[in-house]
Formats: sequence, structure tokens, C-alpha cells
Amino acid sequence: MFPQSSQKKFWTFSNEQQLNSLRLQQNVTYINTHGSDMNQEQRDDFFLSSIEERILLKQYELYLNDFCRRFEPPMPKCVVGTAFHYFKRFYLNNTPMDYHPKEILATCVYLACKVEEFNVSIGQFVSNIKGDRNKAMDIILSNELLMMQQLNYYLTVHNPYRPIEGFLIDIKTRSGMSNPERLRPHIDEFIEKTFFTDACLLYAPSQIALAAVLHAASKEQENLDSYVTENLFLAARDKLPVLIEAVRSKLKFGNHK
Amino acid sequence: MEDQACPRCKTTKYRNPSLKLMVNVCGHTLCESCVDLLFLKGSGSCPECLVPLRRNNFRVQLFEDPMVEKEVDIRKRVLRDYNKKEEDFATLEEFNDYLEEIETIIYNLCNNIDIIGTNKRIEAYRRDNREIIQRNKTRMGREEYELEEMLELERAQEEARRQELAELEAEQKKKKAREKEALIDELMCSGKDASEIVNEFAEKVEKLREEEKKLPPPKPADQFSTGIKFGRSADNMFLPLPKTEEGPLYVHKIPTLYMEGPAAPPSSDIETKGFITHIRPENSAERAGGYKAHLACQRALQEALMGLYHGAPAVN
Repeated sequence: MFPQSSQKKFWTFSNEQQLNSLRLQQNVTYINTHGSDMNQEQRDDFFLSSIEERILLKQYELYLNDFCRRFEPPMPKCVVGTAFHYFKRFYLNNTPMDYHPKEILATCVYLACKVEEFNVSIGQFVSNIKGDRNKAMDIILSNELLMMQQLNYYLTVHNPYRPIEGFLIDIKTRSGMSNPERLRPHIDEFIEKTFFTDACLLYAPSQIALAAVLHAASKEQENLDSYVTENLFLAARDKLPVLIEAVRSKLKFGNHK
Repeated sequence: MEDQACPRCKTTKYRNPSLKLMVNVCGHTLCESCVDLLFLKGSGSCPECLVPLRRNNFRVQLFEDPMVEKEVDIRKRVLRDYNKKEEDFATLEEFNDYLEEIETIIYNLCNNIDIIGTNKRIEAYRRDNREIIQRNKTRMGREEYELEEMLELERAQEEARRQELAELEAEQKKKKAREKEALIDELMCSGKDASEIVNEFAEKVEKLREEEKKLPPPKPADQFSTGIKFGRSADNMFLPLPKTEEGPLYVHKIPTLYMEGPAAPPSSDIETKGFITHIRPENSAERAGGYKAHLACQRALQEALMGLYHGAPAVN
């Protein structure tokens, strides 16, 4: 379960600064190792800066989403979530200059399929990729172990989907809202947007799920605050709304990029 | 059992399975007839390796592999000299070193590594430890003697039993013969009716047979056939098991679920409060496997609520 998972212990960070510093650090390390003989200008010319890396990775995240959406046979949502997680985690400690995001993208999805027990053979998998199939096969299979190593072999990922189901059940039972099912499309949209941000590396999946639910409710002009306060009767825990706001704001921030 | 054919006459071994292979000190085999042939001509050297041999050096081969035979031979020779026992050494390490030395010597001799040096070692050892070797030799002799005694005892017992049985049988035969004769005599001499006499004798025979059945029971055994006496407990052969310290008794504690969030509705509420109506009920195949919708419902609710307080600072 999430509170005792490796995801919480090792792959959930306290704030964005931590993430950014990690990314910056690996960028700098890479440049220093490979560009030790160049001066500053040449380095700027030749290597990507941390910000540029971020932009590049964001683009590839879009490709990742696209790839998963067009996957044959249809891919369950948890696989998509896990693949995004892996992608983000990998590039926290590695630079896209070293490992081409396209390859890592394919490897992430493949590994996610395996872990989430959505069994696709490698042949079936590469049939979804355009271009040289055999080369793709080789690349994916050779990158797989590297990927696992960079994830420090913590492969279990807790996605927000089950918490969302839980919240929907709870809302249907305990709160007085009518037809909570209309929240679903908004929820799905919200979750998709979170995958392009760093929210999964900073917050618990249940928190993201709650944020999704509340966001969808506000879109439907419903007020679930009473439901929320009914849940959180412990006064000391009113950090939660703060967190929810944080998630929402991050989302808006992510949207603008 | 056939092994290979004798290296000289090749065919003869197959044809005559009773023909034995003899082996000599160099480890090469020769069938009996070839050995005779070899020493008839007076040559006296092994056909394969040309080591000079004596006729009495040939022993009947016990093992199939001549290398094994050779090693066994060497081992016997070496151990005649290296006959120290564990009590002769102060520490276990010394004993182990001694054993290792023996093995090295045997290995060297067997594989023809540095034969001269190894033989020198043996000589040196023999010189240094002459008294001990002597003492051990006599001591060995005593143990063997005891074994021999026991074997003798067993053999004697066997003999005695066999004799007893034989005597018993002889007795029986004599008795039968006597009975028959008596019957015939009666029939001849006495004036009684023939059939009556026959009946009498039949009854007598019956009675005798019954008596035979009640033979004295065999002497109750007081030892196993291997000679170990009854009654001697095996306990004094083995050390008592060391007593292990027993730790505190295990007490089962129900595991608690660490939620880091508000408590999920308890399992009893799931059905009564209507949570379960919002979940797809299990189909019969799933129910057979032990799955219930209750489980999915509970899991979803738990996952929704656990971790909600994540990131909140700890309460003072």
C-alpha cells in the first residue's frame, strides 16, 4: 500500500526544488564529464541546458501519451500511469543527452506492460512502432535492464486510478451528490494533465485522486466541501486542502507550459 | 563385469568370464593365462610400461579401474608406516596436517609426481618416528586380534548350531527307522490283529509328532547377530544434544494497517451502508476462485483514503 511502499520512501519528494536540483545536478555532472576540455561557450553550444532538457522531455511525454493511446491491443490506464512514472523517474537521474528519450519511452512502456501484467509479447509491442522493428526490439530489450537499474529496481507504482474509484464509490454512498458518474470524464482529463507535470513525484496518488474529484466537481458546479470535511475530521490534518490546492495550481502551471 | 579384454590376448576374457585379471604394481592388468605366459618366457616386465616385475607381485584385481587398484595398493603400503592415530596429536590442526601429508604422498606416488622426493619423505618420516610406528603396529595388531576373536566366536557358534541341527535330524531318522522295525516285528511275532497293531503304531507316531512340536524354544538371543550385546544402551556412544536457549513465547498480534489518512469504512459497513451497491458484483467464476466484490470495494476505499495525509508535518 502506498504509505508503506517504496514509492513513498524513495520516489516521492517533498517539493519541486528537490526535483529541480536533482535534474540540474545530473545535467551538470554529465557536462563536466564529457565536456571537460571545452570552455563555457562551447559547452553552452554543444550541450543541452537543464531547461532545454525539460522542454525536450515534455515533448516526449506527449509522444508517450500518444503512443499509449494508439496502442494495439488497447492499453489499460494503469499501464500508462506506470510508464509515465518510470519516464519521469528515469530522467531525474539521467540526462536525455545520454539516453535518447525515444528509446527510453519505448522501454518504459514495455516495462510498464510487464509490471502491470498487461502481457504483450515483444513482437506485438514493436508492431506498434513505426520503423525498423528488429532494431526497435534490440533497443528495448537491451535498455530494459538499464531502466530497472536506474529505477533502483523499485518497480511497483501506485497510480491514482483505484483511489478515484474509491472516491466515486464513497461519494455515491456517503455524499448527497446526484449522478457522480458525470464527474468521470473531467476526472480522466485531469489525471491526464497531471501526467505531464511532476505531481506524481510529489504527492500521494490518493491526494491526486482527491484533487481530480474536487476539480471535476467544481467543473460541474457541485460542491463537495461538506464531503471533504466529513472525511477529515481531525483538525490537525487540515494541511490536506493546502495540498489539494497545490496540486491544482501545479496543474494550471503545467497547462500553461 | 567384463571390463575390457586382457590387453595381450584380447579375446580370451570375453570367452571365459571366469578368467581373472591380475594387476601389478604399475597398475596394468593381465589375465591369468597371459601372466603365466609372460613368466614362462622368463621376461618379467610389464608389456605396457616395461616396469620389471616379479611373479608374486601380481594380485587378483579387486577393482575395475586399475588406477584405483594401484592407489589402494600404494595407500596400504604408506599407511603401514604412517599409522598414527588422533590421540597422538596435541591439536586437531596437527592431526589434519598429518592426514594431508599422507594424502599428498599417496597422490604423488599414484600419479608419478616426484617419486624420488616423496620416497625420501617417507624414509625421513620412518626414521624419525620409528618407536611410535612400532608401538602403533603392535597396537593395531591387538585390535585386529580382537576382531579376529569375535569372528572366530561367530564361526564357532555357527558350527555348533549346524551340528545341533544335524544331530537332531539324525536322531529323527533313527527314531523313524526303529518305529518301522518295531511295527514289522509286532506284525510278525505277536498274535494280535494286524489292523489293530497298525492303529496302535499310528497313534504312537501322532503322539511323538506332537511332542516334537514342543521343542525347546531356541535360546533367547542376548546379542545381535553382529555381536553387539543387548542391553548396552546406545546413549553412551553419543553426546547429549546441546540444549538451546528458548526465547520468549510468540504472541500473535493482529497487524495494523498504517493508513496515513482517515480511517476507511470498516468491513462491516461495506454492505450495510451500501458501498457495495456501486461495485460490479462478482460473477460465478470469480466467486469460485474466492474473490468477492466486497474485497474490491474495500480495497478501493482504502486506497482512496490512505496516503491523504502524506506530506503533512507530524503532529507534535
